[in-house]
Amino acid sequence: MLKRAIAALAMAATTSGCMQYLVQPPQPSLAGTPQTIEAKSYAGGKVQQPGFISAARCANGEQLARVLVKRNFAQGFVSWITLGMIAPATIEYSCANASEPPMGGGGD
Amino acid sequence: MAAPQPSFNPKKLWKNFHETYHQVIDGEWDIFMPQQTAGLTVADLKETTAQFQKLIGDAKQQGLKVRAIGSSWSLSKAPTTSGWTFNTNRLRGRLKVKATDVDPAYPGTAGQKSGLYLFQCGNTVADVNKALETDAQKRALFTSGAANGQTIVGATQCGTHGSALEFGALHDHIVALHLITTADKHYWIERKSRPVMAKAWVDSLGAKLMRDDDDLFNAVVVSFGSFGVVSAVVLETAPRYLLETRPTQVKLTEDLWKAIGGLDFSVEPFNGDKPYFFQAVINPSSDDVLIMVNYRRDDPGNFQPNYDLISPPKSIGPGFDALSTLGVILDAFKGVIPPFSKLAAKQLFDTTPKTGTPGMIYGYKPPLLHVASGSIAVALPDARKTIETLIQLYKDIGPVPLVLGCRYVRKSPALLAFNRFPMGMMISIDGVDSTTSRAFFAAAPDRVEAAGIAFTQHWGKINSYTPQRVAKAYGANLQKWLDARHKLIPAAADRALFDNDYIKERGLAG
Repeated sequence: MLKRAIAALAMAATTSGCMQYLVQPPQPSLAGTPQTIEAKSYAGGKVQQPGFISAARCANGEQLARVLVKRNFAQGFVSWITLGMIAPATIEYSCANASEPPMGGGGD
Repeated sequence: MAAPQPSFNPKKLWKNFHETYHQVIDGEWDIFMPQQTAGLTVADLKETTAQFQKLIGDAKQQGLKVRAIGSSWSLSKAPTTSGWTFNTNRLRGRLKVKATDVDPAYPGTAGQKSGLYLFQCGNTVADVNKALETDAQKRALFTSGAANGQTIVGATQCGTHGSALEFGALHDHIVALHLITTADKHYWIERKSRPVMAKAWVDSLGAKLMRDDDDLFNAVVVSFGSFGVVSAVVLETAPRYLLETRPTQVKLTEDLWKAIGGLDFSVEPFNGDKPYFFQAVINPSSDDVLIMVNYRRDDPGNFQPNYDLISPPKSIGPGFDALSTLGVILDAFKGVIPPFSKLAAKQLFDTTPKTGTPGMIYGYKPPLLHVASGSIAVALPDARKTIETLIQLYKDIGPVPLVLGCRYVRKSPALLAFNRFPMGMMISIDGVDSTTSRAFFAAAPDRVEAAGIAFTQHWGKINSYTPQRVAKAYGANLQKWLDARHKLIPAAADRALFDNDYIKERGLAG
């Protein structure tokens, strides 16, 4: 029983994110697959690498449909051991379709 | 206005939406829609066609495979490719078919004729619902799957269905489609028995009209992207209506079996009131059944749909990635599965009574990774035997973090339709992706087969199709489907562009 508990906790810790926040609008309209960027925050966010996350795949006026910020076990451990001075995270973003296309045709 | 040129993304790892598997690819092409001020035109469709054809030609020259991919919603590997993926999500043009563009031989009623709409492949089911259900259009889909994030082409290519008792699956709305097969060929395909678009309109698109028989259309309409790029579809729609949901929690009694196994609604809790939509969700770890019934209300007047999915700031629910951890924990602690299943059924199925358009009822859901789902369809007379077989399997290898959702769909003329039976019961096995769940999915078809029950499996969900099972399930339709693929893509090298391991392993490639 103890072995199972240890196994489950170890697997849960290593296979899942130790932190994750998802932001999306009430009617998400995704313009494609998520893009993944590795980022690091230093000194409590005073320095960030990259300087800011550029959602470069969002072209032609597209905004963001979804942003997921997550930290896995290894990233969480680095943050813990450095007392938050180095805080790596993974950012996933999806572009939003620019607008609702008008209905064509009709009439007659 | 001209569309921006396709943009290459050197992405090497593609994951399906629910992140239950990944695939190494050679890059992704983003395809853009022409800027529209007055709605989609034939010129826009031609421009997009030319862009797809250029990319198909380039891929062939470079020895790469290709696939058009929508929302990546499938839990099966049906949409995968090892080469280039074409991201179609931005192709969301739509138009109401003009009466003058309809073929004079169209056999539909005046009401059906005024409810024909063309949607480009990247429109999601949510987009289609929202476009149809406006005050300006006052139309609706006859049926829909539980989710709305799939593209209309992705969902229909894999056979997505709902549980409207008098209708087929989502693909049974489609009456015409535009197919791009090679760098120099594209087709407008319809059934001979149901001509839709006037030849002059098809000629203006520059596509070759194919409607010499029904088989060609019936092959392509459910083909998992194996025939090329399905660039647009024409749907027949219903006048706008509302659905009134009446969810109830009941026990699995002999009376209830009459409804689940025979669609007899004279029993409690229906009392003779036949619903438009019926689903029974059985928790195999107990005798609890969640009854989801929706009643149709026509002529909703000026009802204003609200599609918003809002998570109240103080609410608590499973996070985006909750199920990946839960799967591991439930594998280790099987004893907690039965109470968990009860809780999960409440999370998976909205049990709040409400009234709304189909687009609201089958609307946005909280996104969850690592869901597990597979479906088996059987003829209605085999319904009870099949459910009992699966409950026995659950007892033999369980408990398993899954519930059995029983839905009902009428037969489709599509050659490889999941809804193959005159009235079929689709058992949707839904829950958490875990080792025991996967064992259940692997064993379920074996058990149903051993019980001597004829069945099909959902192409877009976890399935255990083999070439033998596909041949047994579809009989002569299988050869017709293969023949249609050879007819539309005669050269083996061109067919190979759209081959993937999924169709190879099911005897559908080559």
